[in-house]
Amino acid sequence: MEALTGALGGILAAIGLSTLLFVGANRLFDLIVDRWRLYMGVLGLLTGGSFFAILAGNRVLDGSSLRWVGIGALLFAGMAVLPDLVSDRRLRFVVGVLAGLSVGSVVARVVDASVRPTASPKDLVLAVGIAVAAYLAVALLRGQLRPGSLLVVVAFAWVVGTWLLGEVGGGSATAMAVAVLVPFTLVGAALGSGEQRSRVRRYDLQRRTRVGAFLGPAMFFVAMGLVIPLVRTIYLSLHGSKGKIWVGLKNYGEILTNKKSLDLEDWTDIFGSRLTHLGVALLIFGLVAGLLIGRRRGRLLEPTTSSIGPVSVGTLLLMFAVFASLRGTVINNLWWVIVVTLLSTVLGLAAAILADQARFESLAKSLIFMPMAISFVGAGIIWRFMYIARPPQKPQTGLFNAIWVGLGTMAPSGAGQVTVVAILSGVTALLVGLGIFGIRRRQPGITIGSAFVALPILWLLYRFLGPGLGGVETGPLGDSIGKPILFVQEAPFNNVWLMVVLIWIQTGFAMVILSAAIKAVPVDLIEAARVDGATSGQVFFHVTLPTIVPTISVIVTTLIVLVMKVFDIVRVMTNGNFGTQVIANEMWQRTFTEFNLGLGSALAVVLFIAVVPVMGLNIRRMQRAGV
Amino acid sequence: MTVTTESRSVTAGSVDRVGRVVYGFLRSLPTWILWLLVFVWSVPSGSLFLNSFRPRDAQRAHGWWASIGKDGWTFDNYLDVLESGRQTGGLAIATVNSFAIAIPATVIPIAIAAMAAYAFACIPFKGREWLFILTVSLLALPNQVALLPLLQLFAGGAHWTVPGTGTVVTLFPDLSLAGSATAVWLTHTSFALPFAIFLLHNYISALPRELFEAARIDGADHFTIFWRLVVPLSVPALAAFTIFQFLWTWNDYLVALTMLGANGSAYPATIKIASMSGEFGRLEHLLSAGAFVQAGVPLVVFFALQRFFVRGLLAGSVKS
Repeated sequence: MEALTGALGGILAAIGLSTLLFVGANRLFDLIVDRWRLYMGVLGLLTGGSFFAILAGNRVLDGSSLRWVGIGALLFAGMAVLPDLVSDRRLRFVVGVLAGLSVGSVVARVVDASVRPTASPKDLVLAVGIAVAAYLAVALLRGQLRPGSLLVVVAFAWVVGTWLLGEVGGGSATAMAVAVLVPFTLVGAALGSGEQRSRVRRYDLQRRTRVGAFLGPAMFFVAMGLVIPLVRTIYLSLHGSKGKIWVGLKNYGEILTNKKSLDLEDWTDIFGSRLTHLGVALLIFGLVAGLLIGRRRGRLLEPTTSSIGPVSVGTLLLMFAVFASLRGTVINNLWWVIVVTLLSTVLGLAAAILADQARFESLAKSLIFMPMAISFVGAGIIWRFMYIARPPQKPQTGLFNAIWVGLGTMAPSGAGQVTVVAILSGVTALLVGLGIFGIRRRQPGITIGSAFVALPILWLLYRFLGPGLGGVETGPLGDSIGKPILFVQEAPFNNVWLMVVLIWIQTGFAMVILSAAIKAVPVDLIEAARVDGATSGQVFFHVTLPTIVPTISVIVTTLIVLVMKVFDIVRVMTNGNFGTQVIANEMWQRTFTEFNLGLGSALAVVLFIAVVPVMGLNIRRMQRAGV
Repeated sequence: MTVTTESRSVTAGSVDRVGRVVYGFLRSLPTWILWLLVFVWSVPSGSLFLNSFRPRDAQRAHGWWASIGKDGWTFDNYLDVLESGRQTGGLAIATVNSFAIAIPATVIPIAIAAMAAYAFACIPFKGREWLFILTVSLLALPNQVALLPLLQLFAGGAHWTVPGTGTVVTLFPDLSLAGSATAVWLTHTSFALPFAIFLLHNYISALPRELFEAARIDGADHFTIFWRLVVPLSVPALAAFTIFQFLWTWNDYLVALTMLGANGSAYPATIKIASMSGEFGRLEHLLSAGAFVQAGVPLVVFFALQRFFVRGLLAGSVKS
């Protein structure tokens, strides 16, 4: 509790202070247009006060710091306001320079002798040169050069050159005078240069300061927390494990050549895999269905449930065959991205369509959506309990293995098996009836669809009556012993069981967004299609789907970005063991447990490069939307 | 002859009837499939929830489905998992830590982002468009890219050795933040800003412009407009982002794990239950209760404020 109150107290103080600063800055900027001198005076008071407070705080001034803060504030305020009281241009400049000189000499006199700098001219020339060049480059780009700004830049560079690059302490009184007088005089000259500020220029300044006040904090955090770290990570990725020695692209080469991250050796296994054969068969089945139905409707290929279904399942199986044969961290990551993105979107779309206008729609949707509120860590734990595999002699406490082993050890011709076989046969008979009905109605879609559904059921029936279904093996005494699946350990398909967790979470996300998109499809469009005699399948494929394609693309890109950096689930469930390593977890282990900063950063950059196309897509999308 | 045609038409008729019945059943199938889907989606969390109330021995002996009406229920797992000690989880402290991270990590970015979104939406300035696009495009940036440099910054500040002279210039002071909740929420603040700015900008730029024009003519400055008009009008978007960000930071594991390092006393609930699951076995019977303690707060927030959460998601992905 102490930790909480302490933390919250600190946070409240920080929030209060920031609010005060923000409101104060805005109030100050309010003065710019109508009360310029007051604005400059207050600005001078604040700057001078804090400048002398810093000096006093560093114990380089003698006497009470409060007195010095007051003196400094007044000095700076005078320097800021005086030139503005004079309207003649030349006189203004003289007043500015004189004010700067006098404030500078006061500072040079009162500051302790112990901090006199010893600056080398080389450092000074370096600092001023770089600053002037940088300012000129910026001015050239903006097509506008202000002498006043140039003077301030030179003054700043002078301070950097003497106090930061040079050594503090041990210098002469002259060095001190030069180090302090030059920047103050330059600033004074800048204040006195040019015309008095016209109203237009003051308006302009007010707008810019306001942008700074509103945007400053956000830009600070974005720069400090995202942009600069990104640059530094790229820098580190080109260096060795300690981040010191330049190694070029060696870290990236190691990622690509390491067997653990990319192993393409067994690519020929793809063609021998049963998944490939099944996938190709389904693809052909779907294409034939599309051709057959399309011929009746005067199109080459017709997208319907009966053609899209087999084609997508076939493609998915082919992908599984490929990813199960090629191994490695990078391959696993790709597998994750493709499968989770695809299945979450498809399942989310299915749920959105099924729930649309159903009874208790919102209840159903919030139950499917609920996993979104659970952390990846929590979800990993939840599913670990589903996947528990215990030794065959003990009862299975994980639901999946309980069902699997239960089916396997079901006594042959026992009541359970008879029931299952009866149900499956009944369903098959009904599907056959439906197929004939489709032929008589001259709707091949129905026939093909029922054949597609009947195939796996027939396969189940065959397994049941023949070799047996479920986890079972014959024991030494001829008895049947349960054989649980080690869901989390058995490579390569343990990857899929981990993906299930993320699909379980993200389906709700896809569903919610797609559901809103479906509800936004104009009703008259659907009505018109219905009146023209379109079936509900046709309405979906030709009206609804094309309308929600932009939404689907948003979901797909969001999911790709999210799945690409999957970390928590893998870390909690396997920690990358059993061939389930992914890039984000590898990156974490390399960086924070082995302290190989170069390789870890390179892995992070690989993740970054992988999302660059998505970033580009987002930018184009925003430009088109016209910010 | 007549007999055969008759019998054929009879069989054909009955096939038709069966087909029609099945077809009709299939048409009502969507509802069934929907509820099957809902059931399947609820089973994992539901079964874990039941499990969390079962005594240790029952959990080891058989699955939760065999337990209903047999072993009785207990709250002991929850009590044990909250208490700190060797045989317990210590989740009470971890939950407090989670609040200490999630509250500032929600409040601070929302204030900063609202101001930035207002500037992007309502104050014209040079380079506004590209700065906005640049900021928002960082929304896809993987956090992994920033973790190590941020940890180094928090642990030792940033220093630069001037080439040639050997002088070390401190660019950012060493604040010794590594291992503290502050480091975690500062990191969350940076990571949250692109999305927050995007979401709030979408909302603010859709507010009626005439209102602001009128206020400006009446002499209101940007600060007054922001505070008196934009913030009150943006409450729905602010609420949506608050919920989103709270759930996100409460459920975060990666950032906390990285920034807190070995400082176990500051661990939030996610790290605690993850490490409990790492030592599967000793504390296995407490794990399901632990998972629910960690998920309790977000689930309450979720079910109570689901409408705002959904609105936030939609605003973030569907351009209205």
